[in-house]
Amino acid sequence: MRHVKILFETLRSVRLTGPMLAAAAILGGWFLVALTANFIAPHDPDAIDIVHMLGAPSAEHWFGTDQVGRDVFSRVLHASRVDLLLCVVGVLPPLLIGTTLGLLSGYFGGVVDVIFMRIYDLTAAFPFFVLVLAIVGVLGPGLSNFIIALALVGWVTYARLVRAEVLVVKESEYIQAAQCLGFSQPAILLHHVLPNVMGSIIAYGVSDAVLVMLAGASFGFIGMGAQPPLAEWGVMIADGQSFVLQAWWICFFPGLAAISLGLGFAFLGDGLGQLQRAQAS
Amino acid sequence: MTLLPLISRRLLQLPGVLAGICVVTFMLLHLAPGDPARLLAGDRASAETIAAIRHQNGLDQPLWQQFITYVANLLAGDIGQSLRFQRPVSALIHQFMWPTLFLTGYVVLLAVPPTIMLAIASARRPGGVADQIIRVLGIAGLTIPVFWLAIMMSRFFGAGLGWFPVSGYGQGFFGHLHHLFLPALSTSIWLVPVLTQSLRAALIEKTTADFVTTARAQGAGEGEIFWRTILPNAVLPTLNLLGVMVAFLIGGTIIVETVYAVPGLGALMIGSLLGRDYYVVQGLTLTFALATVIITLVVDLLTAFIDPRVRL
Amino acid sequence: MTEEKNQPLLDVRELTVAFGHLAVVKGISFAVQPGEIIGIVGESGSGKSITCRALMGLLPGTANASGSVKLNGRQLLGLDEASWRSIRAPEMAMIFQNPASHLDPLKRIGQQIAEPMIRHQGIGRSEGQDRAVRLLEAVGIRDPELRARSYPHEFSGGMKQRAMIAAAIGCGPKLLIADEPTTALDVTVQARILTLLTKLNRERGLAIVLISHDLGVVADVCSRVVVMRHGEIVEQGKTDQIVNKPQHPYTKLLIDSQPGRRPAGAGSAGSAPARSPLLTIENLSVSFPGKRDLASGLRLKSAREFLALDGVNMQIAEGETVGIVGESGSGKSTLARAIIRQNGASGGAIRFDGQNVQALRGETLTRFCRSIQMVFQNPYDSLNPRMTVSEAIAEPIWRHGLADRRTAQRQADELLELVELPGILRDRKPRQLSGGQCQRVGLARALALKPQVLIADEITSALDVTTQAQILDLLTRLQRERALTLLYISHDLRVVSSFCQRVYVFKAGRIVESGPARQVLTKPRDPYTQELVESIGSLVPSPTLAL
Repeated sequence: MRHVKILFETLRSVRLTGPMLAAAAILGGWFLVALTANFIAPHDPDAIDIVHMLGAPSAEHWFGTDQVGRDVFSRVLHASRVDLLLCVVGVLPPLLIGTTLGLLSGYFGGVVDVIFMRIYDLTAAFPFFVLVLAIVGVLGPGLSNFIIALALVGWVTYARLVRAEVLVVKESEYIQAAQCLGFSQPAILLHHVLPNVMGSIIAYGVSDAVLVMLAGASFGFIGMGAQPPLAEWGVMIADGQSFVLQAWWICFFPGLAAISLGLGFAFLGDGLGQLQRAQAS
Repeated sequence: MTLLPLISRRLLQLPGVLAGICVVTFMLLHLAPGDPARLLAGDRASAETIAAIRHQNGLDQPLWQQFITYVANLLAGDIGQSLRFQRPVSALIHQFMWPTLFLTGYVVLLAVPPTIMLAIASARRPGGVADQIIRVLGIAGLTIPVFWLAIMMSRFFGAGLGWFPVSGYGQGFFGHLHHLFLPALSTSIWLVPVLTQSLRAALIEKTTADFVTTARAQGAGEGEIFWRTILPNAVLPTLNLLGVMVAFLIGGTIIVETVYAVPGLGALMIGSLLGRDYYVVQGLTLTFALATVIITLVVDLLTAFIDPRVRL
Repeated sequence: MTEEKNQPLLDVRELTVAFGHLAVVKGISFAVQPGEIIGIVGESGSGKSITCRALMGLLPGTANASGSVKLNGRQLLGLDEASWRSIRAPEMAMIFQNPASHLDPLKRIGQQIAEPMIRHQGIGRSEGQDRAVRLLEAVGIRDPELRARSYPHEFSGGMKQRAMIAAAIGCGPKLLIADEPTTALDVTVQARILTLLTKLNRERGLAIVLISHDLGVVADVCSRVVVMRHGEIVEQGKTDQIVNKPQHPYTKLLIDSQPGRRPAGAGSAGSAPARSPLLTIENLSVSFPGKRDLASGLRLKSAREFLALDGVNMQIAEGETVGIVGESGSGKSTLARAIIRQNGASGGAIRFDGQNVQALRGETLTRFCRSIQMVFQNPYDSLNPRMTVSEAIAEPIWRHGLADRRTAQRQADELLELVELPGILRDRKPRQLSGGQCQRVGLARALALKPQVLIADEITSALDVTTQAQILDLLTRLQRERALTLLYISHDLRVVSSFCQRVYVFKAGRIVESGPARQVLTKPRDPYTQELVESIGSLVPSPTLAL
């Protein structure tokens, strides 16, 4: 409950700068679109219409039509559900696992910490993208396997970030005071350590959402993520690649959508990060 | 000189990491759900084919024995056989390696100069107009999907204006430069913002550092202070980031190589994944990891060369 | 120019420094004669540091300085950067509070000392290097040739400050501005640096402006003193006159707040009557694993252990006020942490009420936790930044099940009153408080469990002198009212001896001397204690006591 209160206080203390407002507007907008895609999309995203294939943007089809005549605008709207969900599901598991393990390993040290650091060293030896790609390759292409691979690899970054912060907080005198006052270890961890590292984890998590979305779209693009005919921005761009000479719009608009959603997360993460630094100094 | 202890310490850490890499790449294939032989053979293979493949690759032996065989083969320089090409994986990697290396170097060369210029322009007056613009552009640059940018650029600069080829690797050094320009550029556009943000933050931090005040109090000019005091101190964190990024890039070029049909390791990786050529995937993962370890080592040594504090 | 003979080296008239509309230095005037050491004293926020930055033209771009600053008759304010550069180093130089952060970590010491000379005197690199070595020798660094090739991180704090001084005097300036040059250093090191400064003053005729928060330091070294508060000069004059006949009430307060000058509180309560000891420390040793070194690891030698405490024996009776004095690394904080069980002992025992503290478990451990509490050094770091004042004070009460949350809040309000904090602060966060207020909150939190023993680890060393005096008064009152046993840890022998009945002097993990406070202060037997006592600045500038 205290954490909710702290979170609320943090949100209240956010100065609504231009980028933050823009971020709120973009993210809110996409969230609404994802919720109401069924109602606001002018066409059925999967309706094939060979007669109007590769049609240029027009009053009827704002973003044009693709190689089998599906309405690109409707598909972009529907795809936002997949990509927005991807951001949440791709970020939360590694964040939660990583935070928990990072807290424990940083605060208690000892064998857990040594093991964790070895795992970190090992993971750092592989390029992130390659490792995720290899795991997805073995598990088989698909969105759910992509999420699993992301969680398997991604928690390490969070754990390392949290661990580093915990090591700093642990040395502070208020933690020593809490120990001296005889508080239980869980109480110290949850009420004194966690609240003071939470801010930077959240800021990082929001920025990470951008990378997760881009990775998800990239996986869709190379055929290892979302599978056609599911509308997903990366998949749509891959579909349109062969027709880019005749119909640039098939590729162009999904990419624009991805950039705008990414901007929302990036500005929010940037704003939260700045806030974090301002509070720290 | 004084770098020796550091080098020896780092070299001593190496075997542990290498052993870990062996275990991970081995497990990649063997601990995946399902039968590795079926994985190798594909879904439509008959029971006899699967059995043949199982025996041929020693998959009917106990796991620890397979691991020993794997490590022994690695030590002998044998990282397996490609099912698709029917050639040793090491030969394949050797063949596909050069475009990727060329591309990575190209990207770094394209990315570093603008990074330094933008970071300096930005840090000169933190919060000023130039800084705000560069910051916002930097954030925006991070959100662009590289493959989308690659497709768009090949459409407009390649196919549209005809300035650059849109696929392949070209002949000779200048051919490579010409062919790989668009791939390198699209990757740089993603890399520059990351590095600029880091260098800008470090520059701003070091501009207000106490030792800069000292230099000023000793009558040093602003130019001298910047080039000889602020920049060397600020470069350190960015150098580390660059190391991480180059390692990242070697993997990250995968997508760009696919878009521009560059015959590099990335294209090989995707082809092998889609073609279920798992020994190649395993070998490539191993290669990428080795490259990362070497780059990290080089960056650490460079850092130690600049910063006496880490030489202990 | 009839006055030419008496022309001051530095003449500051009506200097005002403002950030926007906020003036932090308000029309101050003073002068420095050639070859003189003048002190500027003030507490934090007095504008003394901004003043010396203004003298060097090192103000941040947002600051606006007006008035007049003349060096040898030449107006400095309004000079362009090029002219400033030609003055800094050859005409006047500056040293700073924290030598560690003011040296470039990537350059060799010799190079950093040689650079100003190469820049201003057009000498070559090797000539610069030679001179740097001679300068290092002049500032008392042994093996100067070898040390010139070292990097800053290989120097101790005192050596870094010496190197800074060497770099500052290299071009032969007439004026040195020293901004709190000894504040970050240990007391004995501080004394040696001050000796070096007076020696340079004598031998080279170097005029020095010494800025300090410590009137004692200034009084020992300077011939004249300027006292600043809130950006204004409240009083200036000959040291003797300021110290002995202060005119302004603030100067009087400042002098009265000096630890040695304060009316003796608990310290004068005479020797403690023989009581059974409450806290006994028997032959206690604490060791930390040495730095992990691969070379030694390869030779299969166990990493060398660092003995932070080495066979310490102490007895503290109920109701006693005991002081522990030592410099950094003496093991005094390790002792405190060992008593509250945050450091394990590698030998010996700590007994509380006859029970071995290390062996406590369960219920008795909880009781022990409640009976020994600690207040920490750093005002802002010792409070959780996310919790309000009353939350922080109430937390121990309800967590120990002594009261429900609401009652705990009420008790927290009473504790706030006890430490003389106004009730309106109860919902503030630590960063909205002053340093002194934070320490009071820390005290209230420690007292929430009604402990028998209170350990105070350097609780005033981050505070201004006047605030320190108030906190010490409060501590004296609390000790009396609550019959606390007090273990007071400090690097400052003056504070400890004015405040405590008995004193233990620590050096390198051992007790080198112990006894009644007055005796240790006036008749120290151990050579180290003697050095410590001599390093104490006395407020009476007398050549025998000073240095």
